Amino acid sequence: MIVVHRLVRLLVVLLAVTFLSYALLTLLPGDPVTQILGLSATEEAREQVRRELGLDQPLLVRYLDWLGGLATGDFGHSYITRMPVADELAGRLPVTLELLVAAQLVALGGAIPLGVAAARRAGRALDQALTALSFALLSTPVFVLGVLLILVFAVTWQVLPATGWTPISLDLGWNLTSVILPALTLGCGQLAVYARLLRTDLIATLQEDYITLARARGLSPRRILWRHALRPSAITLVTAVGLNLGALIGGAVIIETLFGLPGVGRLIVDSIFSRDYLAVQGGVVLISVGYVAVNLAVDLVYAAVDPRIRRA
Amino acid sequence: MLRRRPGRPPGRRLGLGLWLAAGWIGLVLLAALLADVLPLARFDATLAGPPQSGPSLAHPFGTDGLGRDVLSRVVHGARVSLGVGVGAVLLGLAVGAPLGLLAGYRRRAADAVIMAVNDVAQAFPALVFALAVVAFAGANLRNVVVVLGVLGVPSWVRLVRGATLSQAEREFVLAARVLGARDRRILWREVVPNVAVPASSYAFIGMAVVIVAEGSLAFLGLSVQAPTPTWGGLINEGRTLMETAPHVVLAPSVVMFLTVLSFNLVGDRLRALTDVREIGLEPVRQVSAAVPAAPHPVRDCLLQAEELRTHFVTPRGLVRAVDGVSFTLERGRTLAVVGESGSGKSMLIRSILGLLPGTAVRGGTVYLSGDDLTARSPAEMRSVLGPRLGTVFQDPMTALNPVRTVGTQVAEPLRVHLRMGRRQAREAAARLLASVGIPDPARVLRRYPHQLSGGMRQRVTIAMALSCGPDVLFADEPTTALDVTIQDQVLRLLHRLREERDMAVVLVSHDLSVVARWADEVIVMYAGRVVERGPAAEVFARPRMPYTEALLQAAPRLTGPAHHRLRVIPGRPPDLADPPAGCAFAPRCGYARERCAAEAPPLLAEEGRAYACWYPLTEEARSIGR
Repeated sequence: MIVVHRLVRLLVVLLAVTFLSYALLTLLPGDPVTQILGLSATEEAREQVRRELGLDQPLLVRYLDWLGGLATGDFGHSYITRMPVADELAGRLPVTLELLVAAQLVALGGAIPLGVAAARRAGRALDQALTALSFALLSTPVFVLGVLLILVFAVTWQVLPATGWTPISLDLGWNLTSVILPALTLGCGQLAVYARLLRTDLIATLQEDYITLARARGLSPRRILWRHALRPSAITLVTAVGLNLGALIGGAVIIETLFGLPGVGRLIVDSIFSRDYLAVQGGVVLISVGYVAVNLAVDLVYAAVDPRIRRA
Repeated sequence: MLRRRPGRPPGRRLGLGLWLAAGWIGLVLLAALLADVLPLARFDATLAGPPQSGPSLAHPFGTDGLGRDVLSRVVHGARVSLGVGVGAVLLGLAVGAPLGLLAGYRRRAADAVIMAVNDVAQAFPALVFALAVVAFAGANLRNVVVVLGVLGVPSWVRLVRGATLSQAEREFVLAARVLGARDRRILWREVVPNVAVPASSYAFIGMAVVIVAEGSLAFLGLSVQAPTPTWGGLINEGRTLMETAPHVVLAPSVVMFLTVLSFNLVGDRLRALTDVREIGLEPVRQVSAAVPAAPHPVRDCLLQAEELRTHFVTPRGLVRAVDGVSFTLERGRTLAVVGESGSGKSMLIRSILGLLPGTAVRGGTVYLSGDDLTARSPAEMRSVLGPRLGTVFQDPMTALNPVRTVGTQVAEPLRVHLRMGRRQAREAAARLLASVGIPDPARVLRRYPHQLSGGMRQRVTIAMALSCGPDVLFADEPTTALDVTIQDQVLRLLHRLREERDMAVVLVSHDLSVVARWADEVIVMYAGRVVERGPAAEVFARPRMPYTEALLQAAPRLTGPAHHRLRVIPGRPPDLADPPAGCAFAPRCGYARERCAAEAPPLLAEEGRAYACWYPLTEEARSIGR
């Protein structure tokens, strides 16, 4: 029941996001026709292109038309390359997905042990060092961190490539090498967010009666921390993973440009520069759907983490 | 007269970091404002020095590929970053704050609409949107400020709405509403001043966010255009020289990092100032409160506490939560610990079990069958907790882990301590649940705690405490949180289990009717000390310490006359960080004389009982006191 309710709500959000972005992109100054034909084209030629692209139709008609196509998986054709936007996106999606997943792995893989360690010794040296570190990481823009990592690992030590991408299908080893630095750059900021959240939450959980009682039953601190405290504390973390996806995708746009990865973010930036509305729009839809879908999944993961929610 | 020394207000140290951060922000701000006046090379003057030269006196940050002064370019870049930051934050505040106030104060329709729009905004890829708008509308200062300002609005709405919601629930706002004050007046007078602090904190954090966002746009070439330098643009340019002249990229990177860090730090500290939860969480110094233990005989009994002390070192001073408590307990007996809340009863139990928070300092000795528990390491202590000492707490709602099944939790000690296999532990757990009177134990094992009633949960916690067959069961207010009808069942159960298993029970309670019925011996605690001790029937029939009498008079009695008046004990328990000089109960005692306020009475033994009072109650005094 709750799933249906959420689905309806998310669908409404999606419609709103797509319409708003469609309208905004169209209403903003800047004409794709100029981009295609150049400034010197005659008015007739421009009118012709405009008709071909359907740009002479009213906004709402164009949006509904585009939305209808979307339902069948047709994202429209690029104004510039005349290629289906869907194909372009499909080709680039794996790169972005791999980047995002790898970044989340970096973030969670670092945040869970660090958050647990800090909570266990709250107020001590390790905790304070971690707080300072996460604060510093939170204050480092991704492109600054990326540049610094490139400087250290690619320029000074020359152990990892600074730019470039090898698809998994070509060579797994090289693929992993090319994803390490981008994932590290993107994941570190999230790592700091997650570690802080988990630490705060764990400290609160460790004050609970059931934790004191677990100690009163002679269970070891390690067991209490990992088996009794971590799961009740994980809820905020799961929420954060969903909500932070937006920030993560924003970061991916920069990262893909910085590291020269052929992903969706890079496509969006390139398309923005070439005024390729439908390609931008397709990227926006993909990102919004991803965001919305992940947050729906987060709601479902809740139920798995916390049985109290299941009865709702 | 009461001696009152007001404790110093809890130290709200802002810390060196905050001042450094504020200083850095001031420095960058000043440099940005005075960029044209400062004795710097022009930011666009090429060959101000040799290209790509490192830091020197003339060019503290070195020069870039065209020989331009990097310091000058960074300083001019600060103008854009800070200008965009201030502009966008003000814009977000101007639009978001009124909407947030409206949503938080009006609720209902306004709230629903505003929050729905916010939901949509959150699903919007903000940076992509900013890129598109700036790219299409033109990359200039005004557009960047407007776009980043608008993108900041949802966060402002959420923040101000949250702060308003919490304020709108406060008594003074509700009171003003009831008194018919006009909404506008309430908002301005009561709500806005209280929302201002979180808002000013967020203004700094928002600055950091906007500076990063502007940097990202500039990095992609979509902020203020050349020749005006921007931090993001400088970092992007410097990237190409990373191998030959890394200082060109490092200088703006470090300045940008420090600036963002400073804004975050100031915002965070401002927030911490208003966040009560963080006050008092500062680590405290560990001070040894160990009082040299007087030589004492180790008795031949099950449980013996000698001069047990638990002190807390707090910013307000040393708090003596438990201050020299001794008792002995035999197998098959029930010892009751009574007193008002805050008298140290629960802390006594935790001291015995060694389950104190890290800030506590424990002194004294606890013997279990003559074996010194206080000399044990935490790991050695764990082999006693569970197998020999069982514990039940007051509130069964919080005593069970909400995300683990009853079966997992009941079986866990069996598996850990008795090394049972999974199936064996499961079967033993089912038998345990049956023994505490839970019907259909196999089904309950698969349940989660929230699916059980309060009485059932307390039975489960009792089953867990008994799982490894302890010698002593500590029950800390085991029935306080339960229904009256369930209370009696649980107490009967505890009593029956004590008989069946030949355990000893330590029963902590403030409910004297419970104690009188089920306890063999009783100790009465006040301000961390034992003030009276003896056989339960004796102590309750003929209390010697006025505090015990006061407790008895404050308890409803089923056997008393129908219209017996309940008396509350006047005053409050003393401040444990600053206790009265003499008898701690003297300020509240109807019988107190001069000596009581001056000198603390020792615990004197007399005919199998003991009391700490200079002027113990006699039969005549009791009749007058009534």
